[in-house]
Amino acid sequence: MSNYDSNSGNGIIEIKHLGKVFGKHEVLKDINFSIKEGDVTCIIGASGSGKSTMLRCINLLETPTSGEILFKGKDILKEKNVAAYRAKVGMCFQSFNLFSNMTALKNCMVGPMKVLKKSKEEAEKEALFYLDKVGMSPYIKAKPKQLSGGQQQRVAIARALAMHPDVLLFDEPTSALDPQMVGDVLEVMKKLASEGLTMIIVTHEMAFARDVSDRVVYMQDGIIWEEGTPEEIFGNPTKPETRDFLSRFRNM
Amino acid sequence: MAKGAGTTLVIAIVGTVIGCIIGFIVGLIQTIPVNQNDSVGKKILLKIVNIILKIYVEVFRGTPMMVQAMFLYYGAMILFNINMGMWTAAFFIVSINTGAYMAETVRGGIFSVPLSQTEGAKAIGMTHFQTMVNVILPQALRNIMPQIGNNLIINIKDTCVLSCIGCVELFFTSKSVAGTYYTYFETFTITMAMYLIMTLFFSWLLRFVEKKMDGPAEYDLATTDTLAYTSGTLTSPAKEHVDDRGLSDRHE
Repeated sequence: MSNYDSNSGNGIIEIKHLGKVFGKHEVLKDINFSIKEGDVTCIIGASGSGKSTMLRCINLLETPTSGEILFKGKDILKEKNVAAYRAKVGMCFQSFNLFSNMTALKNCMVGPMKVLKKSKEEAEKEALFYLDKVGMSPYIKAKPKQLSGGQQQRVAIARALAMHPDVLLFDEPTSALDPQMVGDVLEVMKKLASEGLTMIIVTHEMAFARDVSDRVVYMQDGIIWEEGTPEEIFGNPTKPETRDFLSRFRNM
Repeated sequence: MAKGAGTTLVIAIVGTVIGCIIGFIVGLIQTIPVNQNDSVGKKILLKIVNIILKIYVEVFRGTPMMVQAMFLYYGAMILFNINMGMWTAAFFIVSINTGAYMAETVRGGIFSVPLSQTEGAKAIGMTHFQTMVNVILPQALRNIMPQIGNNLIINIKDTCVLSCIGCVELFFTSKSVAGTYYTYFETFTITMAMYLIMTLFFSWLLRFVEKKMDGPAEYDLATTDTLAYTSGTLTSPAKEHVDDRGLSDRHE
């Protein structure tokens, strides 16, 4: 893979000096990195290291307290129309967050219809296509609570894809799933990665991060300690902290 | 007396429906979030509107409906020389009284919907208003249905206080009948039974509506044929199209 440089300044998303403070607790400290179009970036690190907060900042579900986030060169923190920006940056959550008052099909249709103003027919056709892609087309009439966790997450991925996002964010998409279902969801994500979708994934699935990502970021205490290709991070981590963290996953 | 009972029902139902609409509007306005990026004008306007709504809710929740009826009916007559008439006065008073209670109920209903639903909607680019209409309010409405039922039943009973402004409802007619024939006990036994029948019927009806809102407990698995059938919009070439794409995906 190509040489990654945080300050190269040609990424689809560029994060500069990002900071986030909750009360007196500093969760993110001067985060800098950039995401190239088509890349799969996995963010790893222990719980409480700020991974999820950083991801949520990218989607403005959390408002950063300092720094800049450039999306295609424009600072989104100064953006008035946050909803329009979010429509281009999809997100899948740890707890799926499907709309519980809608069927799987409707979950995938409501965004394209209401936000992208597509016709019902077009939205339905696309929703069916993406639900088929994640292997959920038999369940279009089911409500979220009638589906298993893995099935819900796959519907959630289809819902995000139906918006044709430029970037898709995943916040620990498999952490709430049992091992059997994890495989189903990761399989879908691998497929998306091979199709060239830009993805940022916060995950504890080290094997997945090693096999699928173009780039791995290790975070600890709100700081990016190390970043590089999977070979660099998993094969030869330079920082003792990274090595220490990864030693707990050696059985992968 | 049957006519009186009819009047009671019409006032209670119309009052509850309009009251619910008022409650939804007030509750919706009170839960508009303020962002730091919003203009000063919007912030001030929202603040003023919220103060007015707060006063409305507190005044009409905090005083007896009978006193409100006297105050508004005679107030309109003496101050503005308006004779509202029985129906207008009754609808008006019951509606704004119910609206004040419903405003708080709706607010509670909105808070009862998990934050994850809002985040899911935000993540696909929905605005606050779209999120409310498509995701939050349908779920909030389901959650507050028992309280709406409560309000309807309370209104059926409490319309009797409107007899004080000459509203010819069930209590008023019962009193006339009892006074004319000197049959107090017999008349009010019947009156009591009539109120009870009305309230029992509506509590049953609302339970039924709640069940309907929950939808079927089971769902059908969709096959390719039913996929095309349920969508209704897919003619056979389009159906093949979906199949093609599905197949080509599997070939990858």
